[in-house]
Amino acid sequence: MSHAATSAVMLPPARAESGAGVYNEKLGMWIFLGSEVMFFTALIGSYLILRVARPEFWAEPGEILNVPITAANTFLLICSSVTMVKAYASIQDGDQAKLKLYLLATALIGATFVGVQIYEYSELIHHGFLPSGYAEGGELAERAQAGTLPAAVGLYGSTFFTMTGFHGFHVTVGVVCLLYVTWRAFRGRYSAQDHRGVEVIGLYWHFVDLVWIILFTIVYLI
Amino acid sequence: MAHPPESMDQSTQRKHPPYVLIWVVLAVLTAAEVGVAFLQDWPKTLLVIILVLLAAWKALLVALYFMHLRFERNRMRIIAIAPLPLAVILVVAVITEYIL
Amino acid sequence: MTSVAAPIEHGGHADAHAQSFVRRYIFSTDHKIIGIQFLLLSLVGLLVGGSLAMLIRWQLGFPTQAMPGGGILPETMAPGGVLLPEFYNALVTMHGTFMVFFAIMPLLVGVFGNFLIPLKIGAADMAFPRLNMASFWIAVPAFALMVVGFFVEGGHAGAGWTSYAPLSANPEWSGVSLGQQIWCVSLVVLGLSSILGATNYITTIINMRAPGMFWFRLPLSIWSLFITAVLTLLAIPILSGAAIMLLFDQTIGTTFFLPPDGGQPLLWQHIFWFFGHPEVYILILPAMGVVSDIIANGSRKPIFGYHSMVYAIIAIGFLGWIVWGHHMFQSGMNPTLGMSFMISTLLIAVPSAIKTFNWLGTMWEGSIRLHVPMLHACAFVSMFVIGGLSGVFMASTTVDIYIHDTYFIVAHIHYVLFGGSLFAIFGAVTFWYPKMFGRMMSRFWGYVHFGLTFLFYNLTFFPMHQLGLGGHMRRIYDPTEYEFLQPLQGTNEFITISAFLLFAVQLIFALNFIVSWFTGEKAPENPWQDTGLEWTTPSPPPHGNWPETPTVHHPPYEFSSPLVEEDYLMQDRAAGKETP
Repeated sequence: MSHAATSAVMLPPARAESGAGVYNEKLGMWIFLGSEVMFFTALIGSYLILRVARPEFWAEPGEILNVPITAANTFLLICSSVTMVKAYASIQDGDQAKLKLYLLATALIGATFVGVQIYEYSELIHHGFLPSGYAEGGELAERAQAGTLPAAVGLYGSTFFTMTGFHGFHVTVGVVCLLYVTWRAFRGRYSAQDHRGVEVIGLYWHFVDLVWIILFTIVYLI
Repeated sequence: MAHPPESMDQSTQRKHPPYVLIWVVLAVLTAAEVGVAFLQDWPKTLLVIILVLLAAWKALLVALYFMHLRFERNRMRIIAIAPLPLAVILVVAVITEYIL
Repeated sequence: MTSVAAPIEHGGHADAHAQSFVRRYIFSTDHKIIGIQFLLLSLVGLLVGGSLAMLIRWQLGFPTQAMPGGGILPETMAPGGVLLPEFYNALVTMHGTFMVFFAIMPLLVGVFGNFLIPLKIGAADMAFPRLNMASFWIAVPAFALMVVGFFVEGGHAGAGWTSYAPLSANPEWSGVSLGQQIWCVSLVVLGLSSILGATNYITTIINMRAPGMFWFRLPLSIWSLFITAVLTLLAIPILSGAAIMLLFDQTIGTTFFLPPDGGQPLLWQHIFWFFGHPEVYILILPAMGVVSDIIANGSRKPIFGYHSMVYAIIAIGFLGWIVWGHHMFQSGMNPTLGMSFMISTLLIAVPSAIKTFNWLGTMWEGSIRLHVPMLHACAFVSMFVIGGLSGVFMASTTVDIYIHDTYFIVAHIHYVLFGGSLFAIFGAVTFWYPKMFGRMMSRFWGYVHFGLTFLFYNLTFFPMHQLGLGGHMRRIYDPTEYEFLQPLQGTNEFITISAFLLFAVQLIFALNFIVSWFTGEKAPENPWQDTGLEWTTPSPPPHGNWPETPTVHHPPYEFSSPLVEEDYLMQDRAAGKETP
């Protein structure tokens, strides 16, 4: 039995046929996440296909991308998922104070994640790694000429920036929505009986974390 | 206005899943992944398989416990995983262009 | 489970009076208004797509001759009224793009999805009315942007509606840069509208069916809109991803599809068609659904084999994901893949055939009423069969070697999309017009429009089968340049004249539509004596649809039921005995 439904508001519409057994907003978010899975499939799938087709256009893990910083960033995002689910658990128990605290923490950590990503992008561009591959005359291009890096990394750059860029975009949208939910929490809009908004943004946030778990592994570590 | 069914548990005293424990497991798995990735001597294919399995394990933990799929009805689980076979079909079919 | 009829919560109709014109009709959250908004937008899209077709037909019928009135086109498109080859490429691209994305898809999914779903399942509105409003208002700038593309430097995208890389990815080769980028951006924006709409439809159908509206009491129009929404939800994001990658190749130097740096043009085709094939089922399933409703009504009989119809819709939805390679038999893809696609494509003909036999079985020994929607529905069945049969030829890899990218394919497309979808749309608009606008369309002009359209449509598109078998390729600017095509030029001229007449006849529909809105006969609650829930509301229904949620007691097509004297038994009627 779903332990999320605690009141008439969080049940499926009572007058209707039984349907999915969950309230509309939650069902709607899961369905929307289905479309997001397919969107990332297009990008990640293309990456996998291109990597199998033309592996010579990729460098080894850590040669161009900064694994330690990204690993830390990954841990950060996982922490934000924990604070998110703690926020949800708090309001299930009716704890308004903890709800606000954990929501703020989630938003803050999420924003930090994006900040670190932006820093990472600027470092890469500075060293001469672009969506189109090596920047002419850049530091990495020179290492490639010296033979310590692959001759061309156009596909590496294209796939890396597109996948992580759109993930970052989704995180940013998530942070904005989180701030909205946090604002509502501060206005006392959520209760133990009705906290649909918290659960729904939580689902989105965990999904974004899940995508990153996959991305970190297959983009940075392989 | 209809009342919720009597069987619905109205108590506020509920047991939450062990979120902190899962957090620790996720952290350990992440560290393990980074460690594995830098085992230079191992065959690449083996590394890839291990890493993918570790990532899948983490993803499953997030989906089952943070997104509460563990506690949802089958209907919801089907809705949640429905897109995955399609993703697999696309990638596998097109990869055969390059490895067969 | 409660089945008490409780008052509808959303927006009591008392509020509606207090709303301004803008809140009621422009930024409305009422699914009926949004459906009508999509109708108006898509009819404009249909006009644009049709006009582009007229230009194409001029060039093919009378190559490199000055078009009468062509002087109004700018020099960059048609100096002296003679279409330029680059402009011709843009025309074929935009005809396809507008017809698929801004006409047929919004007409079927945006209009009938929005208008019918809450009404036919017994809900007050969609699950997410404000999201619904957003869906429409996101589609509008996408439309506007696509139109703007005609007027930018370099002209509009000219790589076909399928936009194959690397031609579409490299401005140096196509001569088009901004136009192609606009194509990508417009479709990504439109995609968001579609995805949000699909989310709404699916949630609504799953969670908001009235008491007694079990899954197997849903009308087939709703079943098909449901499966269509699932296809939309999962396929459109693939196009979004592909279009974004293409846009990046065009603008920021990525190399997804550009060969010199490892890019894979074939990847574009695979990803595009992985979206593209479910897309064509999105374009036909709702048409099949409304046709089922109309044929049952016009035959005064329940749909023959209702359950198998549902399973066929689901089967088409499933199988549609694994046939995409049949668009790529000539691409040089892995031949083993080609074989598996041939098999799955031949298989998918089966559920469509089941549906066809069931439509015939419905009409068999029915008490046929040949009202205007029924005529269109019958045209759908017959023309769709022709289009489907040509599809079977194309499914065979060996036959396709000869007919791929010829006018045989163009004939197929237009038999299923015009002969199929568009006739269904004409019928459905006529059928639900009274419910939308509270007035009846003119019957007389409806018959005239149908007859002339059916005639000129077949004269236009049937000869294309011959052209294709004769080797006439698609998307070519001047057929007379090829010696082997010169004997076919007479056919091209004939098609062009028929097409002009076909287009002219649509004026009758347009006038019927517009004039009836103001002076049409006032429509009763149930002018077609149909059984669906929407016919228990006033024409047009008020905000909230019903004062109390209806309760459903019967399946959807209880015509000529022994339980009642009339030859139709409405789904919510408590006629003593509940039927399964």
